[in-house]
Amino acid sequence: MAAERRERALVRDAQRGSAEAFEQLFRSHWPRAYRAALLVVGDAAAAEDIAQESFLAAVRALDRFDRRRPFGPWLHRIVVNRAIDWARARALRRETFADAGADSAAGEREPSTHARALAQGLAVLQPEQRAVIVLRYLLDYTPGEIARLLDLPRGTVNSRLRRGLDRLRVAVHEERP
Amino acid sequence: MKRLFDGVPADAEAEERAWSVVGGAYARREPVRRRRSPVRPALVLAAAVVAVAAAALSPPGRAVVNAVRRSIGIAGAQAALFKLPSPGRLLVSGSGGTWVVAADGSMRRLGAYPQASWSPHALYVVAATADVLAAVEPANGHVHWQLARPAIRFPRWGGTRTDTSIAYLTTSRLHVVAGDGTGDRRLPPSASVAPAWQPGSGGTVLAYVDVRGRVTILNPDRGIVSRVSRAYAGARDIAWSPNGKTLTLAARGEVVLFAVATGRARALPVAGVRALAFAADGRLALLRENSVTLFEHGHLRTLFAAPSRLSGIAWSPNGRWLLSALPQADQWVFVQTLGARRVLAVSHIRRQFGGEPQLDGWAPSA
Repeated sequence: MAAERRERALVRDAQRGSAEAFEQLFRSHWPRAYRAALLVVGDAAAAEDIAQESFLAAVRALDRFDRRRPFGPWLHRIVVNRAIDWARARALRRETFADAGADSAAGEREPSTHARALAQGLAVLQPEQRAVIVLRYLLDYTPGEIARLLDLPRGTVNSRLRRGLDRLRVAVHEERP
Repeated sequence: MKRLFDGVPADAEAEERAWSVVGGAYARREPVRRRRSPVRPALVLAAAVVAVAAAALSPPGRAVVNAVRRSIGIAGAQAALFKLPSPGRLLVSGSGGTWVVAADGSMRRLGAYPQASWSPHALYVVAATADVLAAVEPANGHVHWQLARPAIRFPRWGGTRTDTSIAYLTTSRLHVVAGDGTGDRRLPPSASVAPAWQPGSGGTVLAYVDVRGRVTILNPDRGIVSRVSRAYAGARDIAWSPNGKTLTLAARGEVVLFAVATGRARALPVAGVRALAFAADGRLALLRENSVTLFEHGHLRTLFAAPSRLSGIAWSPNGRWLLSALPQADQWVFVQTLGARRVLAVSHIRRQFGGEPQLDGWAPSA
């Protein structure tokens, strides 16, 4: 509760022009935003861009933001939807339409074995499945909250979670030494 | 499972890079201020508007407005852009956003981007705000990808149908990113001049003006610089001929044509050139203060002289028409360059595009 009140105060001060308050909001939300994007797109550079663009979107919409709502879910919704769009996007390097090919979920900056195994496990999932799993297990949202965040029926969230988790468990156990 | 997710590393360097962009965007934003007394200023403004409108609508006032418009614009201009005089799609951008105008005059707004340019085959548009670079669909403004970077300027898309790259400037650096938005690279510092991809090079050769005013040709993928000119003062614009054999520079007091194969430079003593544009058939248009000069068959000739300052230049895809703008008169002027000389002017441009647009290119029809 105290944390929520503090965050509401930071949002209010940031809306009034306090750069210090906005920096505190940025610093407290960046790590989770970046890691969520990284786990959905599997590419460190793209994750950095997605998280950064999400904060820019937040800056642009800051004056319209309803302070009674929590800032985190609002930001995470932007991050995860952008990450899904990125993962779905077709490659424009070819100017003619062509399939971008399978997404690579091997991040460039995962030093630990666990993180590498997780990235490889996530690589076998669809971007939408990755997104619900990241929202559930990294960002700690309940299935009901995920459904509201992504505008999905609760049943769809549950089935994506179940199927994604089954595949992820198999992949992670196969990959781990 | 939860432990696995908690073990994913954050990236402190990425956080600092992001903060430099996001913090800058926050600093530039203008917070919404609550007005203390909205009624009085509104009344004053309304009274002023009514007074000016009454003066302008009265017979003597209207005469003054018309006289001013005649002195800085083209008489007999159409009241609005009903259609383009030649086939193709025109891309414009400015404070009113980025727009695509079809030959039949229909206009589509792609988004609130004040800068834009076409992809090499005009299948996509690269558009930019001050801190976001985006690849968008010209048909509906759908965003394929976007990148956040500080102080983006002059996005330019080059390459073939199968491999493309986008060059752009940030605060002081040249950047190149693949056409799918991946692999963004910082290259050397650049002067405030739009970079240009060499036609026919497959998007592998880029020309830019460095901070010392030297025209530099490089392969950004391999990091190889193939030509560096001497320094030129007052560099304003560079453009490649359609066959990729000649690179042209507009500098203070001269236009310089570089033969890329031999490295030889030929200077044309033309002062005040602000922009260059090649037609598909190789004719070069030079935008000067109040006129457009054509360089064709080795000779310079004035194509069109305007009653006020011109801004921007764009060839129609078939090379028959040249478009420029008269911002003071709020007009566009289309000049026929082949056959009989015809001049068509269109008024009320700002009203149609929500602000003063710059001309970003006239591409063939989809």
